Amino acid sequence: MITIADIERTGAPPEPPGSPSAPAGLGPSSQVRADEIEVRWRPSRHARRLLTLAAGGLLLAVLFRRPELAGLAAPALLLLGAGRATRGGLPGRLTVRVGLTATRINEGEPAAVDLIVSDVPEPGVPRSGAAAPGAVTEAGYDARWALEPGRGIEPGSATAVNGQAARFTFAIERWGKRKLGTATVTLHDRWRLAEGRVALVLPAIDCYPSPAVQRTEVVLSKLPNRLGEHRARVPGDGTEFTGVREFVPGDRQRAINWPASTRLGRLQVNTFAAERSQDVVLLVDVTSDVGEPGHSALDLGLRGASGAARAYLAARDRVGVITYQWGGAHWLAPSLGRRQFYRIVDALLQSDTGFARGAGFNRLPRAALPPGALVVAFSPLLDGRFVETLRDMRERGFTLIVVDVLNTEPPRRRAFADQAARRIWTLEQQAIRFSLRELGVPVVAWDGVTPLDLPLAPYTRRPLVTRR
Amino acid sequence: MTISRTPAATQRGGLLSLAGPRLAAVLLGAACAAWSAAPPGHGGWPTVALVVAIVAVTAGGLRLALADVPEPEDAYLLSGYMRAWLNFLVLLRTLAWEEIAVAAVLWLEVQHSARPWHTAALGAALTGYLLITHIAESGADPALVLRRHAKVLALGACLLALGAGFAMIPAATPGAGSSLLRVLAAAAVIAAAALVIPA
Repeated sequence: MITIADIERTGAPPEPPGSPSAPAGLGPSSQVRADEIEVRWRPSRHARRLLTLAAGGLLLAVLFRRPELAGLAAPALLLLGAGRATRGGLPGRLTVRVGLTATRINEGEPAAVDLIVSDVPEPGVPRSGAAAPGAVTEAGYDARWALEPGRGIEPGSATAVNGQAARFTFAIERWGKRKLGTATVTLHDRWRLAEGRVALVLPAIDCYPSPAVQRTEVVLSKLPNRLGEHRARVPGDGTEFTGVREFVPGDRQRAINWPASTRLGRLQVNTFAAERSQDVVLLVDVTSDVGEPGHSALDLGLRGASGAARAYLAARDRVGVITYQWGGAHWLAPSLGRRQFYRIVDALLQSDTGFARGAGFNRLPRAALPPGALVVAFSPLLDGRFVETLRDMRERGFTLIVVDVLNTEPPRRRAFADQAARRIWTLEQQAIRFSLRELGVPVVAWDGVTPLDLPLAPYTRRPLVTRR
Repeated sequence: MTISRTPAATQRGGLLSLAGPRLAAVLLGAACAAWSAAPPGHGGWPTVALVVAIVAVTAGGLRLALADVPEPEDAYLLSGYMRAWLNFLVLLRTLAWEEIAVAAVLWLEVQHSARPWHTAALGAALTGYLLITHIAESGADPALVLRRHAKVLALGACLLALGAGFAMIPAATPGAGSSLLRVLAAAAVIAAAALVIPA
């Protein structure tokens, strides 16, 4: 399986090669940040405890006139003295490098953040290689990394690691722009009596909705006059054979069907179907986010839309997206290519439930909604205005397919009023779907688990007839 | 023939390396409290010191055991039990239990009459308790830390023995001044060693 990380991965790994902390499979990371930090060394808790023991022993020795209590303080005093003697060699500034194996991942896809702390290189001094984790540097300090994951970040490895270099693996279960959290590096001197603590805010990462599986496409019966990969009804220069007709001047010689010509005694030529592309506009209703988080209507809508975008772009169609929000719509004009896929998903990520200023459907330019485009809508059909918009678009002549992503219901309760309300709600939903079907808008239900091909199967087997 | 560790064995090893220093810290703390309390003294102050030592060692052990328990991101609309649990965690993590335990143990020790070698053993145990507590809370490699500290700890043991030896020497003249001078001499020797030897 090719993941986004495979596409994004670049060279310049900050992770030391052969590092035992690097889990196999995620590969090296690319550096996203290098900060020079100031370290403030202060006595550690260990030093304070030793000081308590030493001071207590000496004080009680003097108060009670017992020399053995002064001896009791001796090991603690020796350790404190040792720490004091070596404290001068501790660095005041350090460089922290942050690397990510991927800056964009899909839901549930593992990724890793690499962190390396090293001395600030002095000019003219050759740089030494990164030491193995757990080792003490020449400056004589230990490092311990602790990760405090951000909201929605699921750690995949231990959240505390000893050593100069640390790798924390993680996964994100739900799409969105996520902050990775905070990494704290605690530095100890050789005697563990001085302590420096630095907190780093880790970079954010884009988590894309996991695209739904879609291998087949809905193709319109009437395609625009543009070269593509879908077989059109009109004859053309494609590769799919449609029939044989009599030769007319101007026909290419290589198209002559010699067996048929011999049989009929007149020159016959093969005819082929034209191959065209279509405009596809994905219409995503983000006004309602109902259902269990991770499987809500919005989650399904975004996963379905990104799956459909990938499928149609792979078929060389021009794909655009319109997200319908409270107060308007955001749109991205149809275009081709892999880059368009990322543009579409970025546009989807910016969508969220709630009010947003945007263009109304009536004000959408022709570029956003080209005439003759196939409109695939992903909606739970809970917002009456969105349903009205669909009806309006159908009346304007657009060919629509609605993928119903509502996979939840109001709770069942025993009270008569609740039961009646639930029944009315169900009837209303059925009525909405019926009215759309009556207008010639197919409505298919998708549960988010099965491939999108399954509900769309009746419309992918043959071209969808365009009715005005 | 090579022996490869199974994932279960690795997990067991990881758990043991995590729990080992924590358990050792609690055991050493308990041993220190018991060592300094024996034989049990009569009266109010020894009992209070013993109770304080037991509470402090137990709380220190609990703090180490619950060190990995995360605090919730937001504390809004929590139940009473949850709020009480969080307050308990804050109390465990805020107070310096080890320092309290050390002070209580020292106080327990001075309640008894002079017993130089007994006190020297207590000093070794208390230093070990503090060192192992630090290893447990910082997640440092115990072998690495102990290897680095070995020479200094050996010197510390020598000075402990020296302190006990000072206490064994009978005072030249009876009276408080002579004992005080003996204490000051021992403290001066130890302080000089602490200042000179590490450098």
